[in-house]
Amino acid sequence: MLRYILKRLMAGVLTIVILITVAFFMMHAMPGSPFSPAEQKNVPPEILERLAESYGLNRPILEQYLEYWKSLLNGELGISFKKPDTSVNSIIATHFPVSAQVGGIAVIFSLMVGIPLGIVSAMHRGKAADFATMAFATIGISVPTYVFSVLLLWFFAGVCHLSITVWWDQWYNYLLPVACLSFNPIAYIARQTRSSMLEALEADYIRTARAKGVSELMVVAKHALKNAITPVVTYLGPLVAGLLTGSFVVERFFSVPGIGRYFVTSVSDRDYTMIMGIVIFFGVFVVICNLISDILLAVIDPRVKLSK
Amino acid sequence: MTAIEPNARALPEQCAYSDLPSELFVMDGNGGEDEQIVRPSTTYWHDVWQAFRRDPLAMGGAIFIVLMGLCAIFIPMVSPYSYDGFFPLIRNQGPSWEHLCGTDQMGRDIMIRILYGARISLTVGIVAAVINFFIGVIYGGISGYVGGMVDMVLMRIVDILTSLPSLLYIVLIMLVLGSNVGSVILALCFTSWIGTARVVRSEVMRLKHSEYVLASRLSGATTRHILFHHLIPNAMGPIIVSTAFLIPNAIFSEAFLSFLGIGIQAPMASWGALANEAIPIMMTSPHQLLFPVAAICLTMFSFNFIGDGLRDALDPRMKH
Amino acid sequence: MSLLEVKNLKTTFAIGVGTVQAVRGISFHVDEGEFVGIVGESGSGKSVTMLSVMDLLPNYAKVEADSMTFAGKELREMNARELRALHGKEIGMIFQDPMTSLNPLFTVEQQLSEPLRIHLGMKRDAARAKALELLRQVEIPDPEQRLKQYPHEFSGGMRQRVMIAMAIACSPKMVIADEPTTALDVTIQAQILDLLENLKKNTNAAIVMITHDLGVIASMCSRIIVMYGGMICEEGSSRDIFYRAQHPYTWGLLNSIPKIHHDRHEKLVPIHGTPPDMLKPPAGCPFAPRCRYCMPVCRMMTPPETGLDHGHRVFCHLMHAKAPKVERGVDR
Repeated sequence: MLRYILKRLMAGVLTIVILITVAFFMMHAMPGSPFSPAEQKNVPPEILERLAESYGLNRPILEQYLEYWKSLLNGELGISFKKPDTSVNSIIATHFPVSAQVGGIAVIFSLMVGIPLGIVSAMHRGKAADFATMAFATIGISVPTYVFSVLLLWFFAGVCHLSITVWWDQWYNYLLPVACLSFNPIAYIARQTRSSMLEALEADYIRTARAKGVSELMVVAKHALKNAITPVVTYLGPLVAGLLTGSFVVERFFSVPGIGRYFVTSVSDRDYTMIMGIVIFFGVFVVICNLISDILLAVIDPRVKLSK
Repeated sequence: MTAIEPNARALPEQCAYSDLPSELFVMDGNGGEDEQIVRPSTTYWHDVWQAFRRDPLAMGGAIFIVLMGLCAIFIPMVSPYSYDGFFPLIRNQGPSWEHLCGTDQMGRDIMIRILYGARISLTVGIVAAVINFFIGVIYGGISGYVGGMVDMVLMRIVDILTSLPSLLYIVLIMLVLGSNVGSVILALCFTSWIGTARVVRSEVMRLKHSEYVLASRLSGATTRHILFHHLIPNAMGPIIVSTAFLIPNAIFSEAFLSFLGIGIQAPMASWGALANEAIPIMMTSPHQLLFPVAAICLTMFSFNFIGDGLRDALDPRMKH
Repeated sequence: MSLLEVKNLKTTFAIGVGTVQAVRGISFHVDEGEFVGIVGESGSGKSVTMLSVMDLLPNYAKVEADSMTFAGKELREMNARELRALHGKEIGMIFQDPMTSLNPLFTVEQQLSEPLRIHLGMKRDAARAKALELLRQVEIPDPEQRLKQYPHEFSGGMRQRVMIAMAIACSPKMVIADEPTTALDVTIQAQILDLLENLKKNTNAAIVMITHDLGVIASMCSRIIVMYGGMICEEGSSRDIFYRAQHPYTWGLLNSIPKIHHDRHEKLVPIHGTPPDMLKPPAGCPFAPRCRYCMPVCRMMTPPETGLDHGHRVFCHLMHAKAPKVERGVDR
């Protein structure tokens, strides 16, 4: 087990190193520069020159790359280009917890609703409960999150005349963002659980368990569910990473002061350090989440360790 | 003998077994050879088509997509309206007989804009799916078939690509190449083939140790022959399903990019852009939001139903 | 007194294109401590018969019977709870494919101790001790180590041993073995058969062995039931079947067994033709289309039971007084 974890960990570190390198050079390949005179017309060129100097943008790219690694190893993600008075570290430290909180609730909610829905659906295959659940799940995977958010917003603000722009002071302000974030995952988890549950229930080992006189509840809850849950665990890594790092759309619509919206704005702002900071943060987060879900999978399914 | 047809109904029912006429007990050699196959033998793809045709949701989805495609191609040719322009007198009108879906802030007909959007969405969806299909099959096929070190390296590359936040490279590509259909497709194709590649890889790995592949290799088949004549065709079911689900994903992503304002630019109308434009005025004229959103949702539904139907039809285990 | 008594069992499966008549009204019994073999080719309904008795068929299967009693109790009147109390305790079952019949995510100990805990109320330590004993009984080397392992760490033969241990865990009155050796290598097959034979000697459980290989059960079974097309063709003691068989299908099966002392000019004789389509089974005898002695009556009505001595039963129109007399022939 320990060897398996170490192996996965090494692969994760390698992934992050390559990710940083790729992201760094990709970003610098972007046409224009944050301080090019052509784009910042109302700033005197000599000031732009000095700014570029202070961020080290005039030096050879390889040197910048090494420089970046040096500060990175000290745990510094650098100073934002857009907001010269704040460090990327502090932006992440301020906004990530908000996203993580909303996202965390959404993850738990998705699992608590999605898995039971899938099981119920599989148990009542072809009956009304199955049909209703799968209709809901099909809507869930077909309707994009942003469309769902817009519709929810339109419904509550336009039809019910509720004010939902205030964020942060009441618990019920969590409801809509969490609902929007977990809408797709619930549908996906329910569908996945249903199909793997159906497959598991038809397996020979389920017949063996029944032949041993295991009760129907234990057949489903113990023998089938443990087998059916593995695809959901695999999906859990990317899901947690995606939800905890925030969604641009949901955060914008519901005025959630999270990290998600910095994603898009920093790229179009060409805020190099901010982009790098978020890419690294996100990358590390994805790698860790995948690692955890891999370990979880190996705990559930002893065959995993052998195949990888 | 000839008086009695070999038919159960001709049997004298009132007759006791021991009293049955003796001509019934003459060996006529009529057994043995006449094997009748009651069910006509059908090919795999014929079965798939039959199963798919019987799925009302999948067929409904397919019909909807075809209709949508035909409308998107032909209606703009004959319609008096254009997707572009400025008509101050008819701004923000609700649905009417002249403008079935109403008009937008510029007085443009929303239905024609949705149909132009359908051209973009369907093109993006189908082209992206085709490109993904080829990249995925080749990448996954090589990785699964060669295995070992090559597989390790290829799979690590895939791992890294999936760790990249998709928005980052999509936005980068859009900025570098400009906002047009081509760059949207390129941006979408950057990583979405990975799912297909993984499916192909695992299928190929599963099949490459089968006996018919061994037989083929023993009879001197080349690697390429084995890969493209044995492995890929046998893995076609899961590949088609994963490709079918790529289409709605691509349409979804394109609409999302336009919705963010970094996709296809005005005055070209993409569904996401239409929805985005309508958000500030959704309280006063919700139809401007609801029609494009309905177009997105119905298309997504249709493609997902088609995908589900294909999966059920291609997977013999689902047949009962 | 017979342990299991089944009268006029009919099992059908409703599938998309129609109804598969897997078992078409068969009656049989199993006595206490007896070793019965059920022989037939794929699709003859032999597995479905025993799965019907065990109530282990999927829910699109329909099981009908005039009566189905186990140890004097009517199985069809039992509720799910009473049936569960029977399964694993009174009746153990061994399945065909040991690779898929064990749950891959639980250790052998967990799976082996499950019936012990459910039916005998054993606590963890007692169950482990008993599980160890069971593994020894089925001759698995190094049982302490093996107990902690998962099924994928076992070979096919070893897994089938675990299945057998699981089936006999609660000392059942009857063990059903559904083609226990089909999925195994020939050498392993012999070992598993030896094990089952020992089981027969050391326990007083009745064993019902389902197989498509008449040769496999030749020496082991006291009684053999031959099935074809969802019906019984012939039933009798081992000697009756091997030396006094009356049904052309049984002859066909006997002719296709390879013999060790085989004359090199004597050929194995296959049964020509294909098994019937159980969606539309032939009106009369199911074997008629493949039978070289087929008569008009065979295509019209199903043959009635003809009882010979010592419980030897044959279902064939050749038994009729007016039918021509035929000897078992191998000269096709």
